[in-house]
Amino acid sequence: MASPRADTTSKIILGESDLHRVVDRIAHQILEKTSGATGTVLLGIPTRGVPLAQRLAARIHAFEDIDVPVGSLDITLYRDDLRLHATRALGKTELPGGGIDGRRVILVDDVLFSGRTVRAALDALNDVGRPSSVQLAVLVDRGHRQLPIRADYVGKNIPTAVSESVRVSLLEIDGLDEVKLTGSDK
Amino acid sequence: MTKAILVLEDGRVFHGSAYGAVGETFGEAVFTTGMTGYQETLTDPSYHRQVVVQTAPMIGNTGVNSEDDESGKIWVAGYVVRDPARRPSNWRSTGSLEDRLAAEGVVGISGIDTRALTRHLRSRGAMRVGVSSVDLDPASLLSRVVGAPQMIGADLSAEVSTPSLYTVDAVGEHRYTVAALDLGIKRNVARRLAARGVTTHIFPASSSIEELLAVSPDAVFFSPGPGDPATADGPVALAREVMRQCTPLFGICFGSQILGRALGFGTYKLGYGHRGINQPVLDKTTGKVEVTSHNHGFAVDAPLNSVIDTDFGGVEVSHVCLNDNVVEGLRGIDVPAFTVQYHPEAAAGPHDADYLFDRFVELVEKKG
Repeated sequence: MASPRADTTSKIILGESDLHRVVDRIAHQILEKTSGATGTVLLGIPTRGVPLAQRLAARIHAFEDIDVPVGSLDITLYRDDLRLHATRALGKTELPGGGIDGRRVILVDDVLFSGRTVRAALDALNDVGRPSSVQLAVLVDRGHRQLPIRADYVGKNIPTAVSESVRVSLLEIDGLDEVKLTGSDK
Repeated sequence: MTKAILVLEDGRVFHGSAYGAVGETFGEAVFTTGMTGYQETLTDPSYHRQVVVQTAPMIGNTGVNSEDDESGKIWVAGYVVRDPARRPSNWRSTGSLEDRLAAEGVVGISGIDTRALTRHLRSRGAMRVGVSSVDLDPASLLSRVVGAPQMIGADLSAEVSTPSLYTVDAVGEHRYTVAALDLGIKRNVARRLAARGVTTHIFPASSSIEELLAVSPDAVFFSPGPGDPATADGPVALAREVMRQCTPLFGICFGSQILGRALGFGTYKLGYGHRGINQPVLDKTTGKVEVTSHNHGFAVDAPLNSVIDTDFGGVEVSHVCLNDNVVEGLRGIDVPAFTVQYHPEAAAGPHDADYLFDRFVELVEKKG
């Protein structure tokens, strides 16, 4: 039997073309589940949720020639661990021109893990308007929820150990597109 | 890789790569949702003049073989797939799908977003399409797409029918003889009948009632097939004559529309049709729901919940599609005739509706 040991091996879960395909699929699913994305607003959660939301809007535009408003929703001050960590830089909240009142808001994030970020986002949303409904799109769902939250659109479900970490890199921020799982003890 | 484009009648363009033969083709764009059975789909005469879009993303994985053809050749006018298999793998495979398409001159396109295309057809309805790997200018292709013939008003039976009479013998003991009018028949129909001791004589679409009756059939079968049933005046007159003589009548798909018209009902074109192998149908005689294979763009217009008085006595709608309440079967109460709009003979399945062939044989038994 191998003894447990610290390991920093990493594995690429989604390469560039996989990631693009997954974003395409979520865009299709949004179009189908929202009957043509009418009255819909995409709000990315900084940092990587924002370019993902923009990509989804671009793909939806490419598929059906529909313009879906995109914005960002900063959740820093709504985090339940705000006081447990050193001071954080604030992200930006930018709502699209039409606002979110009465609209269907789709929150977009890169990784769904404990669910605490999404809880914070729901609180943040509460302070900026009253959407008719809120959905959640994530590139990766890695499990281990600590709150009763699930995503409406999932790019890829990745079974993980709590000790592992999932790292999403996006061209706009990191210079390449990939999803990596690190710290697996293989 | 050779580039190819697909242009829809309303101007929407998709870019991809040539698949199968390099060339140009036009037809009605339809999508089918079956994840298996592409070889049966391609060789089904009902797809004549149609460009078939496969919603299943990977096509060709099991190659092609010498056993699964539903007719003598590939009938589709064009073929649209997302992700063709690079290497077929199956114990029955005798070659790759792309090679077969190329050998039969079938123009296709691969690498396009079939999900977006399907949604487009689903929301806007089946429409004419052009696929080309020679003319890559969307505007010039579009001008020819809008010049291509429409499916409404198309009389295609003669183009797909057998040129001369042939016979499929019963397997085992011969029990009954059936005269089948070939409006685009699939091989598996005669096979399903043969398995029940029925010898089937398959007649050209233009046959007369005298020719059909010359083989002294115990029953007459009207086959599936392509085209607009509103144009099938010849077969409709034939069906009326068969019913007048009280000879048992069974029909599938196009044959069901023929019976509908012979009984005095109208037919109409569905928005985007039913094509796939997981369509839920309610059999009203038993209350059972069966999962069935469909391939129809037209349907019979008849009231669902009452016995209708026709020239041939009472008739009722026996089967209904649960997705959209389209008429999927008709049954004569006073005349020995029944038909279904879907495909009990479907290969590679589902086989939920296979009992209809038993019902047909029972009908013949009762009559005899």
